[in-house]
Amino acid sequence: MIGSYVPRPEWLMLDWHHACLEADMVTIQRCASCATWRHPPRRFCAACRSRESAFVPVSGAGTVRSYAVSHRSMDPGWHEATPYATLVVALDEQVSLLAATTSTPNDLALGMPVQCSIERRSDDFVLVWAEPSDETPDIRPAASGR
Amino acid sequence: MEGETVWGTTAIVGVGETDYIRGADDHVCDLILSASMDAIDDAGLAPSDIDGIIPPPGFMTTEEIAANLGIDDISYHVSVLMGGASPTAALQTAAMAVSCGLAENVLVTLGWNGYSALRPKADARPSKRSMNLGPMGETVRNLYAPYGLMSAAQHYSLYLRHYVDTFGIPEEAAATIALTCREHAHNNARALMRDRPLTRADYDASPYIAEPLRKFDCCLETDCAAAVIVTSVERARDLRQHPVVYLGGAEGHPQPADEIASRSDLLELGIHRAAPRAFGRAGVTAHDMDVLEIYDCFTYVVLLQLEALGFAEPGGAADFVAGGTIGMDGDFPLNTHGGLLSQGHCWGLNHVVEATRQLRHDAGPAQVPDAELALVTGYGDLGDGSIAILGRDR
Ligand SMILES: [Zn+2]
Repeated sequence: MIGSYVPRPEWLMLDWHHACLEADMVTIQRCASCATWRHPPRRFCAACRSRESAFVPVSGAGTVRSYAVSHRSMDPGWHEATPYATLVVALDEQVSLLAATTSTPNDLALGMPVQCSIERRSDDFVLVWAEPSDETPDIRPAASGR
Repeated sequence: MEGETVWGTTAIVGVGETDYIRGADDHVCDLILSASMDAIDDAGLAPSDIDGIIPPPGFMTTEEIAANLGIDDISYHVSVLMGGASPTAALQTAAMAVSCGLAENVLVTLGWNGYSALRPKADARPSKRSMNLGPMGETVRNLYAPYGLMSAAQHYSLYLRHYVDTFGIPEEAAATIALTCREHAHNNARALMRDRPLTRADYDASPYIAEPLRKFDCCLETDCAAAVIVTSVERARDLRQHPVVYLGGAEGHPQPADEIASRSDLLELGIHRAAPRAFGRAGVTAHDMDVLEIYDCFTYVVLLQLEALGFAEPGGAADFVAGGTIGMDGDFPLNTHGGLLSQGHCWGLNHVVEATRQLRHDAGPAQVPDAELALVTGYGDLGDGSIAILGRDR
């Protein structure tokens, strides 16, 4: 296991981790009223103000919006793995989340298609991983080019 | 105009700051009290004249400051929790309190043990006093730290990498910020790096911390404190120092402010929203400025802010800073005290202190001739922004 720190989430955040563990795949919160996806977990739907939602399994397919490349980490477990990349992945559901990756930083580029999966780190915590997928890049709207 | 009683009716009349050092002998509360007392003295006031306090986000409370200094009647206090954007945002709150009559003389102070306690150091005596992380705490604990992202350099690199890759920002531009701040620190006897030169070769040889950030793209960790006193322009004119008027300011927050990855635009920071508000309130434009004191936690964050302020189009700050524009002889001298990169890190309240000295024409070897208008920015947490536009009183 890369990394030493495993948080102990509570309440809504814990519900998300449990939902991912139960589905054995990435789940994302979806508004039960207007079907808008959202992440990280929130108590209200910002689109319609509904409090009703569910954590719904998603395909995990997405693209790289950005990535950090760390050359040191205060977590000794991660520090051993330097330099390592951490991805901001735009899922096909139009929400973004962080993901660890085993890819070497030099092999990464913005817009690259990736496939997300989860790793069980405790009974209460999953880590999301994303690796380059074989799928041919389709034409997606540019990730917030500015 | 809405808010016309706030903008241009208050002034900074006192400034104080400690040395910027690594491993202070003084406790963080001693630093805060020293800087506060210096600012009160500088204004020609007594502690009993202070009736408003905006304390640091953590480290020390209003109540403790008042009890130590013998301030016996606090009529207004409030905390601002925007990380490094806090002190500059606090100026608008101080101006609001003074112009609305909630307080007459407001002390804004910030001090911290940024070297001795931020990360354990062998040569420093730690204190349990710490910062109030505000909205960042939950996000970092739950969403970033488990992925090995624990430092600000790592968090910000999530969008700085996007910035560099999207626009092809050359390292040259970041190096220009680092080297300019270092050169300017050599004019400042208080700067930690006052006699430590930095060459382009040093910069290029410095290791990456979190790409695109090299070691010399990152600000200093220092123990220090600073303080300023805000009062009405009318009272200011009877006090000791030439008044420096708070012409206008603003704060802004990215959306959502508490998490980076889920933003629809990774490069829209709080300052993008604050900038038009601040210039509108002050009735001036970016290009009217004589001095820029830009929050420089990281070099690339300075570039992004210059774009947000309108000095360049998105992606254009690299061209803007080339050719000496931000040097002492350029059109827009930047971080004339050395900044967080080379003076020391006092959450940008040192930028406010320096801007005030510039507009008093009391900045010594760092003085920009005939400076009339100065711009200060703050940047903090996961991209909150603040702006203060200051002017020399007539
Ligand atoms: Zn909804």
